[in-house]
Amino acid sequence: MSPLVICNEVTYQYRDGTPGLHQVSLTIEPGEFVIVAGASGSGKSTLCRLLNGLIPHIHGGNLTGRVLIAGQDVHSTPPYILSRSVGLALQNPEAQSLATTVARDLALGPACQGLDRTTIAARVREVAALLEIEPLLNRQLISLSGGELQRVAIAGVLALHPRLLALDEPFAFLDAAGASRLRETLHMLHQRGVAIIVAEHRLAEVADLATRMIVLHEGRVVADGAPRAVLAHEVQQWGLEAPPLVRLARAAGMDATPLTLDEALEVISPNGSAPLAFPDCAPVTPPVIAWEDVSFAHDNRMVLSQAHLSAAAGEIVGVLGANGAGKTTLLRLGNGLLRPQHGTVRIQGQAIGRRPLWEIARSVGLVVQNPGHMLFAPTVQDELEAGPRALQRLDRAWISHIIDQCHLEPVLRRPPHQLSAGEQRRVAIGAVLASQPSALLLDEPTAGQDARSRQALRALLTDVARAGVAVLIATHDTEWAYALCTRWAVLDAGVIIASGTPSAICAQPALVSQARLRLPAEEAIKQPARPAAEAAGYRMQSMPSRTGAGDAGFSKST
Amino acid sequence: MASHVDPRAKALTYLIGSAAIILTLDLVRLAIISGGLAMLLIGTRLRQRWLKVMLALTPTLLLFALVAGWSGGYAAAMGAALRLTALVGAGVVFFGVAPPEGLGDAFLAGGVPSQIMFLLEGALRFTPMMGALAREVYEAQASRGMRFDGVHLLHNGPLLLTPLLLSVMRFADDLAEGLETRGFGSPQRTPLREYRFGWQDGALIGAALLLAIFIVQ
Repeated sequence: MSPLVICNEVTYQYRDGTPGLHQVSLTIEPGEFVIVAGASGSGKSTLCRLLNGLIPHIHGGNLTGRVLIAGQDVHSTPPYILSRSVGLALQNPEAQSLATTVARDLALGPACQGLDRTTIAARVREVAALLEIEPLLNRQLISLSGGELQRVAIAGVLALHPRLLALDEPFAFLDAAGASRLRETLHMLHQRGVAIIVAEHRLAEVADLATRMIVLHEGRVVADGAPRAVLAHEVQQWGLEAPPLVRLARAAGMDATPLTLDEALEVISPNGSAPLAFPDCAPVTPPVIAWEDVSFAHDNRMVLSQAHLSAAAGEIVGVLGANGAGKTTLLRLGNGLLRPQHGTVRIQGQAIGRRPLWEIARSVGLVVQNPGHMLFAPTVQDELEAGPRALQRLDRAWISHIIDQCHLEPVLRRPPHQLSAGEQRRVAIGAVLASQPSALLLDEPTAGQDARSRQALRALLTDVARAGVAVLIATHDTEWAYALCTRWAVLDAGVIIASGTPSAICAQPALVSQARLRLPAEEAIKQPARPAAEAAGYRMQSMPSRTGAGDAGFSKST
Repeated sequence: MASHVDPRAKALTYLIGSAAIILTLDLVRLAIISGGLAMLLIGTRLRQRWLKVMLALTPTLLLFALVAGWSGGYAAAMGAALRLTALVGAGVVFFGVAPPEGLGDAFLAGGVPSQIMFLLEGALRFTPMMGALAREVYEAQASRGMRFDGVHLLHNGPLLLTPLLLSVMRFADDLAEGLETRGFGSPQRTPLREYRFGWQDGALIGAALLLAIFIVQ
């Protein structure tokens, strides 16, 4: 069988001169499952866009070398023809939601192929059954959760019957439950003969599923082989973070590369300690910010119910929970964007009541999930000064300190919107800290961030807390929050079901499972009961092959 | 009943109705049209949507009436306010009973190029999304202490534009990619429903025409 993808000496430069790929040569065979790994800006997304013709047909730029997709030359074949061979699910599923209802969205691709209505309806039924989204068919796309939207976007691409499915950072915004479901979907599609490419820097999500791993660094292929073999290298040199289980094995001095919990348990002995007690380690010092019996409902649905939470100076509190658990609402109540319908939010002991937002901003800073929404000034320096100016508390010495703390000196004269996602996040945090708040709230700060940015952010927040700021972080990234937070508050369906040290919470498998959290690797290998670890989002072993009688439909039609 | 009417007939009826509203000069007749539309909206599930739009448009409505009143007196002010209210009511009814995709499919079946139809569908489909984006940007800025209340809006309003425009442009780029990945560039596109003009379509357009002539004359 001829290769699906042949790239020969491919070099690509974007229209503005930004280098994308450099002398990339690779082939991808039908049925392969490939991780394309690399830090932000390494060329992962560029490669994905090249595979279905978005590059060069939409992005322009300068492409040299030979790229053949299912025997068709990318230079001379338009994307709508290539999309029949290569389906691309983009990072932002919202931009792939092209209709009002799910059924119509799934039908759009086959309709654009000019298929007759009977075939279109059959394709919609087929992909809806495949991805188990039949109950969503009549739903409005705008009403779907992030995970649901992602599955619909993949289904919409699969309705074109591509032979290769490429996904650009599909795990970036998914919680543990959504990520687990996506893994199952990818495994199932692979079993049915669809070749898969996942561009991702969160290697733990797919390393055990993939048959091959290609590492891109500064646009070049620097490693290519079986995931275990590639991960045996020091991947940090390419701006990647090895999966947590691999890091644990290395920390334990083992020369092994475990990709599943079973493999990890074979090489690392758990410390065997009894589950920790479950102390409520609420701060003993007076809280900087406190939610007291706070409830909030929206559209007749209780989003937050009788929440009690506080954070003292120097604390880093992680607010953990699945998507839709109420984390963002809790933060927005904390800075006055929303007002409690019941209960009180206090800042340094004073109820915020009806105090205006700008006044609360003097004490509480909020960094929203998309920092781009916060940045408007022509340079980073102006950006840092804008908030304090508006609040009439500009202190240049303090801003110099923030510049040092956030490592912003090299980008001070640059426009914020031209910075990388990690740099923008640091600027947004700096811009908020410049107003000298006593509490800093961050909403999903690691979403879409690569390993280097996540590490830099962890160091920065540790410094900020050390300086006496109360830090609250809403996240579902348990691995990152485990090493950073002094305390976790766990939200499930709008209720804070636990508050305690990360270790104490992780020692309660039922609680972790209820909140649909993923156990950090360090805690997962301590779990005495394997089903509990599995329930908490950990794979014990590689997924079994699931080719069965019911599998014929998609593979036949591809 | 509304679901059995061809979206093109609905569009034509809406245009006839809007023309009648614009051309009606008599205040009593305008009041009757506005009242009739208001009754229709209150009696349907579109009431909330209409109220929301009217609430958002109140300052514009007042300004419109003020300007008209300044140059043409009390009657002109009343006429302007009633005309705008009626046009909004007609728009809410139309978009409530004719979803953008239905319209798109119907015009596509009538031979209008798919790219042009997507412009129409896209404008209607993504308007609420852009509204949500604007709200997110506003909240992100307000969280930093920027004031947008009262006169502060004049001074700080432009601060919203940079992130909003950048976000919209980024979304437009993503959307263009999203469309291409689904094969949108293809010259052929199958309408998802078959549309044929029926007796009910003719009856609706005829009734709208007769009513418009009666009101305007």
